[in-house]
Amino acid sequence: MQLELGVGRAEARPGAVFPRVLGLCLPDLSLQRVLRAREASGGDQPLDRRPLATVRDGCVVACEAEARERGVRGGEPLVQARAACADLEAVPVDDAEDRAVLEGLAEALLVIAPAVEIAGPEVLLLDGSGAHLFVRHGDDGERMLIERAVEICAEQGLRCRAALASGRTPARALARYGPALASVPPGAAAAALSALPVAALELAPDLERRLGALGVRSVGDLARLPPATLAHRFGPAGLAAWHLAQGDDPAPLSPYLPQRLPQESLDLEGPAESVEQLLFGLRRLADRLGARLAGRGLGATRLRLALRLDPSGEERVEIAFASPTSTGSRWLFALRERIGTLELKAPVAAVALGVVEAAPAPAEQLGLGERPQRLAALEAVLARLAARLGSEALFAAEPVDRHRPEAAYATGAFAAKRRGETRSGRERKTRSAARGGPSSVAGWAALPADLVRPTRLLARPRPLVALGEGGRLTALRLGERTVRVLALSPAERLCGEWWGEPFDRDYHRARLEGLGDCWIFRDAADGRLWLHGFFD
Amino acid sequence: MAVDAREIIEGLREEIRRLERRPAHPAFFIPSGCAEVDALLPGGGFPRGAITELAGSAASGKTEIALGALTAAMGDEGLAAYVDGRGELYPPAVAALGLDLDRLLVVRPKGPDGGAGGGEAAHALWASELLLASGAFEGVVVDVPIGSDPRCAMGGARLDAMLRRLRAAAEKGGGLALWLGAPEGTRVPGAVRLELSEGRTGRRVRRTFAREVAAFGVHHAA
Repeated sequence: MQLELGVGRAEARPGAVFPRVLGLCLPDLSLQRVLRAREASGGDQPLDRRPLATVRDGCVVACEAEARERGVRGGEPLVQARAACADLEAVPVDDAEDRAVLEGLAEALLVIAPAVEIAGPEVLLLDGSGAHLFVRHGDDGERMLIERAVEICAEQGLRCRAALASGRTPARALARYGPALASVPPGAAAAALSALPVAALELAPDLERRLGALGVRSVGDLARLPPATLAHRFGPAGLAAWHLAQGDDPAPLSPYLPQRLPQESLDLEGPAESVEQLLFGLRRLADRLGARLAGRGLGATRLRLALRLDPSGEERVEIAFASPTSTGSRWLFALRERIGTLELKAPVAAVALGVVEAAPAPAEQLGLGERPQRLAALEAVLARLAARLGSEALFAAEPVDRHRPEAAYATGAFAAKRRGETRSGRERKTRSAARGGPSSVAGWAALPADLVRPTRLLARPRPLVALGEGGRLTALRLGERTVRVLALSPAERLCGEWWGEPFDRDYHRARLEGLGDCWIFRDAADGRLWLHGFFD
Repeated sequence: MAVDAREIIEGLREEIRRLERRPAHPAFFIPSGCAEVDALLPGGGFPRGAITELAGSAASGKTEIALGALTAAMGDEGLAAYVDGRGELYPPAVAALGLDLDRLLVVRPKGPDGGAGGGEAAHALWASELLLASGAFEGVVVDVPIGSDPRCAMGGARLDAMLRRLRAAAEKGGGLALWLGAPEGTRVPGAVRLELSEGRTGRRVRRTFAREVAAFGVHHAA
């Protein structure tokens, strides 16, 4: 039964079409991560720089070329490595940090691929089915996809090997064991894999050992074996290995889905004491963070900067933006301003930049006549104002459905709306036409109540003393000054909020001689008159 | 079919050329929305790139005129800023006047008592300079109580320097710049000034420039 099953499935599928997959391998990722962090934090290389190696459990995992030239090999004990290279600097591998780097890169790559899978500690697999979209001026779309992926890796400070093939196993195997850049056309995967070691197929260790014992060294060796024999000797696992050796892998990708808003951090080589030093590192962090957000189609509306001080302490600041953006250079305006206002008690040992709040970022396509520098200028001016005055001093107001006049609007972060996000011009025109403009003051008593509001509202109403004759209000005393009342509108009663601080006021628009139109009210609680605003 | 495509492309090219020839600012003078005021202004409206003063008492109508001009300057997509040094701007009325609150940045430096004090007036002027010079806003209204309120008193030379910087910033930014002041308040050097007053017959407005009284008009009759 087992044999029949094996024979029945032993035909390679010549007409089968497997999805195009781009495999990216980041060799010696642990070492790349450490080197990237040092490059971002310091800049200058010390004169006494020592060769670097990453180690796990006392054994070398990866080492720099200089150490390799001096005889250090991956997998050997650190003691042995130091015998060959006495000044070898050993840094422990941090799997969590390496994984975070892979996740960050996967997010950034989402800008060119609909799905990205983290397929192992050093490998990413991208859905390459959209490569044709990269075709421009007759260029090969798949080649463009590979080049763009390598570029994104380089922008993230990482180097990679890339291979585009049909199916995930060929793509992964070629990326790890093949040439630095490879593009295998559909149907040619078996030939491309044949020279690779069996380990490239990432079979179960036991199966790989047993195949090795039989003298099967390369994928080509495995592909040439009769499938029925493999199925008979190794069962379904042997048959599956044979299919993989034929480049036959229909398994879909398992896409990585980011769960949190991104954050990037950096331990500085030496404590930073100047803004410029900090900005040097922050520039790299901002670029990486921006690429990650761009991959998700988001832009940051609020960033958090955390500065860890040396030897202890931390300073945290949050920066809000007028519009969602994933352009790191635009964040730097705000970061520079904000850092400039901080009074740090100690040098900075580490920085972390994280996105606290994000929103879908519209494509920044400028219309004809729009000035691109205007967007940058807006961010810069808002950043400087927020840094000096505090973000609460800048706001966009929003009407709130409350009867209490002083609570009839709320303040929120100013977020400049783009085309199509604002109220329609027609609505604005209608409202504008309905307003009581300067020349229509004579008819203001007939306007709907919600349009008769003063342009200025006093934060603290000022007391008035009513003066009258025969029950008619003729004048008001405001402080030391007495002014005649020329006209008085009917009362508009505003009251409510019985559940909290109840109020009950009769508002009038009063035209006062020499002063103009004022908004006054009589408080029903005590009958006193107050000046609350001006129709200025 | 190919001919049609060429015609369409040629038509689009022509349209692009036409749009590119369009000036970045549709008009140099911004109408106030009030014919009597516009009649007093050279060019029939408030100029871009220069400060215009609107001086008047607390309820003289200057804010309404400023907001009307701001609305006109903003158009359908532009941004505007209001430096509210007195902390008195009432947004529901602004919205009722037709101005899109989403595109209006309000800057309200806080003083010790919630309003603008001496230090805050300096902050507000600094903010105004920044906003005017940025070029990111189609219009900026500056409402900072200087001179009328003893708490906001600033040294003469320092104030002069700040006001001159403000004028330079307006020229640099090229947007609408309106200064709201009190009748007896400090004057911005070299700015056209509209003085609004409330009389028994209604609001009146007149224009002055430097020492000259250029015109005299009636804003509206009650």
